[in-house]
Amino acid sequence: MTNSDSTVVEQTVRINARPETVWRYWTDPSRMCDWWGAAAELDPRPGGTCVVEMDHGGVMRGEYVELVPHERIVFSFGWDPTEGAPAIAPCSTLVEITLTPEGDDTILALRHTGLPIGVRDEHHGGWGHFLAILATAAGGAVDD
Amino acid sequence: MPEELMDESLRAVADPTRRAILRLVRDGELPAGEIAMHFPSISRPAVSQHLRVLTDAGLVDVRPQGNRRLYRWRREGLRDAAAFVDELWSDRLARLKAAAEREEWPERGRAARAHERSSKKERRR
Repeated sequence: MTNSDSTVVEQTVRINARPETVWRYWTDPSRMCDWWGAAAELDPRPGGTCVVEMDHGGVMRGEYVELVPHERIVFSFGWDPTEGAPAIAPCSTLVEITLTPEGDDTILALRHTGLPIGVRDEHHGGWGHFLAILATAAGGAVDD
Repeated sequence: MPEELMDESLRAVADPTRRAILRLVRDGELPAGEIAMHFPSISRPAVSQHLRVLTDAGLVDVRPQGNRRLYRWRREGLRDAAAFVDELWSDRLARLKAAAEREEWPERGRAARAHERSSKKERRR
């Protein structure tokens, strides 16, 4: 799949906690389960496992790609092909988390790329609402 | 949007031929025959099957005209699927925020709980 076929989801959230604290919620299994999933198997180093099992049984399967302590985490993201799980193959998309301290807060920026849910629109006509929800994929023209 | 339909949309666009079909019908209606002509290496029934997957996933609309079937992009289809992933993250990140703030400020949580208890008492009076 080329870049032009994929979609980027971007979100930012302000958290009233230090980056060190927020960091642990992406690297410590018990904390990961406080907000995402019922069980987690995490090996936070490049190439290490990042598996989160959801309450409903779906399994997110990825690998850590990059870790800059308290600043940046990149991991691949996908779902085991079980019934009811989103059709995103294991490790097939990429999630980048950036933590930036700001006063007593941490600004967490999430960027999820490679999602197979967009066909990049070059004309921007009639897509206002779609573009408001999503930032379009980076990269070249649609390869018609 | 129901989760099954979201899943169907994702599956539908996971295929390069189907993405190519979506791009073809993005700017206007096309009959099945003309769509098939763009894919000389793919059999006509296979193209029909791709069109059925796209229709079932709500990504294209189809209407009959005479003995032809005309296909066109259904914009809402992908938007719903994309919004679903977006919502998934915003929901999770809100939970992460709450958990991290509870850990950072445990006394705040205790104060809030105490406040809750006292206001419940207030209400009982």
